[in-house]
Amino acid sequence: MAVAQENAHPEGRSSSPFWTIARRDSLAGFLFIAPQLIGIVVFVLIPLGLVFWYSLHEWNVLANTFTYTGAQNYRMLMEDESLLEVLGATAIFSAGLVIFNLSLALLLAVLLNQRLAGIAIFRTLFFSPVVVSLVAWTIVWGFLLQKNGGINGMLLTFGIEGPNWLREETTAMISVIVVQVFKNVGLNMILFLAALQGVPKELYEAARIDGAPAFKQFRRITLPLISPTILLTSIITIVGSLQVFAQIAVLTQGGPGLSTTVLVYYLYQQAFQFHFFGYGSTLSILLFAIVAILTFAQWQMRKRIVFYES
Amino acid sequence: MRADISPRAKVGLYGLMCVLLIPFVFPTWWMVTSSIKPISDIFAFPPQLVPQNYDWTTYSKVFELQPFVRQYWNSAYIAAVVTVGTMIISSMAGYAFARIRFPYANAVFMIVLLGLLIPSEVTIVPLFQMFLKAGMVNTHWPLILVPIFGAPSVFATFVMRQFFVTLPAELEEAARVDGLGRFKIFTKIALPLAKPALASVAIFTFLHSWNLFLEPIVFLSSADMFTLPQALTQYTDAYGGPMWNIQLAAATLTALPVLIVFIIAQKQFVEGLAHTGLKG
Amino acid sequence: MADVTLSDIRKSYGAVKTIHGVDLDIRDGEFVVLVGPSGCGKSTLLRMIAGLETITGGMLKIGDRMVNDLDPKDRDIAMVFQSYALYPHMTVATNMGFSLEHRGAAKTEIAERVNWAAGILGLTDLLDRYPRQLSGGQRQRVAMGRAIVRNPQVFLFDEPLSNLDAKLRVVMRGEIKALHQKLKTTTIYVTHDQVEAMTMADRIVVLSGGKVEQIGAPLDLYDRPANQFVAGFIGSPSMNFIKGTITGQGFAAPGITLPLPAAAMPLAGQSAIYGIRPEHFSLDENGVPVEIVLVEPMGSETQVTMKLGETKTTGVFRERINGAPGDTIHVLPNVEAVHLFSEERGIRLN
Repeated sequence: MAVAQENAHPEGRSSSPFWTIARRDSLAGFLFIAPQLIGIVVFVLIPLGLVFWYSLHEWNVLANTFTYTGAQNYRMLMEDESLLEVLGATAIFSAGLVIFNLSLALLLAVLLNQRLAGIAIFRTLFFSPVVVSLVAWTIVWGFLLQKNGGINGMLLTFGIEGPNWLREETTAMISVIVVQVFKNVGLNMILFLAALQGVPKELYEAARIDGAPAFKQFRRITLPLISPTILLTSIITIVGSLQVFAQIAVLTQGGPGLSTTVLVYYLYQQAFQFHFFGYGSTLSILLFAIVAILTFAQWQMRKRIVFYES
Repeated sequence: MRADISPRAKVGLYGLMCVLLIPFVFPTWWMVTSSIKPISDIFAFPPQLVPQNYDWTTYSKVFELQPFVRQYWNSAYIAAVVTVGTMIISSMAGYAFARIRFPYANAVFMIVLLGLLIPSEVTIVPLFQMFLKAGMVNTHWPLILVPIFGAPSVFATFVMRQFFVTLPAELEEAARVDGLGRFKIFTKIALPLAKPALASVAIFTFLHSWNLFLEPIVFLSSADMFTLPQALTQYTDAYGGPMWNIQLAAATLTALPVLIVFIIAQKQFVEGLAHTGLKG
Repeated sequence: MADVTLSDIRKSYGAVKTIHGVDLDIRDGEFVVLVGPSGCGKSTLLRMIAGLETITGGMLKIGDRMVNDLDPKDRDIAMVFQSYALYPHMTVATNMGFSLEHRGAAKTEIAERVNWAAGILGLTDLLDRYPRQLSGGQRQRVAMGRAIVRNPQVFLFDEPLSNLDAKLRVVMRGEIKALHQKLKTTTIYVTHDQVEAMTMADRIVVLSGGKVEQIGAPLDLYDRPANQFVAGFIGSPSMNFIKGTITGQGFAAPGITLPLPAAAMPLAGQSAIYGIRPEHFSLDENGVPVEIVLVEPMGSETQVTMKLGETKTTGVFRERINGAPGDTIHVLPNVEAVHLFSEERGIRLN
């Protein structure tokens, strides 16, 4: 069949140039993605390979020795009692952050979705901390949360004696979570607001005709319809929570004790303060594994919790 | 839910929102006002919501204690270069992934998306070693190259791709009939139409670079090279305690310009963000 | 202006073949309409001519040049898209001049050509507007203006009227036809609407399943469809088809015998499909009895759904009919307008 065709139009085949339209387009495609692809290989994939390689070594920076020790760093990981505390702190921090962040974001989005005069001003103000420099924001909160700082000052005017927020285990954790939530909740708020505005108005009108009360409309219509956004924001927020570093470094330096030492902060200490690059790399692998598992798990969950996908 | 709201409910809603606003707005107010209080009033009781005494020397001390202008410039130019670089790289890659059919496109896309799974914190140790070998520690290269080419730009690529996917195919076909090649279709048709997505990529990237903290403290060691977030933490007295009012003055100088730009351009900010294709 | 020649044009996506060897000679200045149901390959064929889809096999010539592997821009064609594909970020004038700009034309020449095209299409007052500020019909005109500005050898239209409302469609149909008569540029026009095809075309190409079913002038297709598919596709309401057997006495269908032209007598004994258009029935006392199922008065004519023997058929009559469902009337098929098709392959017999 193919032979017959070629014989039928020999000139059609022989004159066709090597750089056909499709080939030229493929080349263009590769050229367009080349910078990004090379970047990913050089700055992500190769370092990821290296971090695994390092994790199999004992690396003494001062003596300049780099010895293969196999799984020893990983055994150390299992036996590191501090790490247990660190992982506990990380879990509490991430869970607290996600729950507080998403519920506050949703509440604010619902409020901002009301038809009220001047609502845009409120939207701007709730969003404003997102654009305030992170360290500046953290420094002000650190200042406010001092024993004799602004917050305790206010409390005292009402006759309440506040705790030393950043120096007690429970309040320190609450503080770092709260500071982080107020900083970034505006992002999720806007995403939720966009999702809420994407819910067709007719659905609410139909529900009102059906006599569904407001909270029921919210539970049965709003939540299912914005569930893809909830999933997405929860993935972004969880992965983001595992990367929080500056706030801890500025506010508590991981203390008191190890109570606010999250994994990234611990990694930083081990690698760059104590120069345990081998063990630091092992902690990096652990961080990578946690991020990957969480993302994967949430992605798998989408079928069960996401009622609706556009 | 969007039925007409009764006047009483309105008062309640406004009240609720005003109370909720306190932790969002008050810190900024407190930062600005405390930065001009003399050190003796910093922890005064009762707290002074409006300064009663002024000490403007805090601002001159910001510049005396550290090369703050230099540090400001460092942060600004790094963020600018990173933003422009990311916009170029990620709009090209996002466009190709969305619109050009080429072999292994899906496999390549998966590899690039891996960047989303691997926060730069994971690779900080080998990156440090790589830049050390390249003689680039205590230079700004790591803070420029990694965000533009590495994991942080993947998110931007994803946003751009999501936008370009929605571009009508007939528009590009019309351009091909009109005589444009791939690159010109990209620059003359696709990019001008991608302004909202580009704006949100620019905002995200700028803020990300402006806020970087771990990377500067890992890679930079001399005050001349510091970026703002790192510099802010350096206003300490001989005992390592923070010099609060000076630190807050520096923080104000860092935060206010961006905040003002945001308030002027807040429509583009917020709507650009909602347009990122993140909606699900 | 040029001829367009398609020889054994084929298209496949991997193993899936969508165009099975199309041969077509389009003469210089001709207005050819490709028509067929959705998925018949008409748009793919047009896009292959445009260079937007690769050609898997065969040869495509515009004028004397083989253009199989040329970019759209090198084929000297212009195209009007279904969605118009106007560049949203450019004014009407820039949209129309865009292709010339990219061919290195001088600014004054571009302006001259744009003004000429705008004059023809009545767009002169709209040149500074943006597409979003235009109505559907105006956008349609701008899309045409963009095509005529550079005086290409061939115009390609891909369902250009399907986004317009019914009334505007009729107006624009006339405008496109008038434009063609003025410019005399070879035009290939794709539509799924057989009315558009009938009213606009010099020649119609009916496509189905990636194959050409018939090529011909509109009335030829109407009067002598080559097969049952074309017969059913051209004309509205569609032709009635009745299964049965050709006998010496006429056409024996379930429950009824229908009259046949004398020329069909040599076919006696064959089973066949009897095709008759709704407008080829007339009320006649000597006709065959039919039971009324539904009467739809249109004003100028009356459409009747009726049971002809056991087959449900449609008739269109000039007369007003006062009948209720269940009533019997007598109708006579015009034997000169009867089409006979073979039963298994639907090929025309008479």
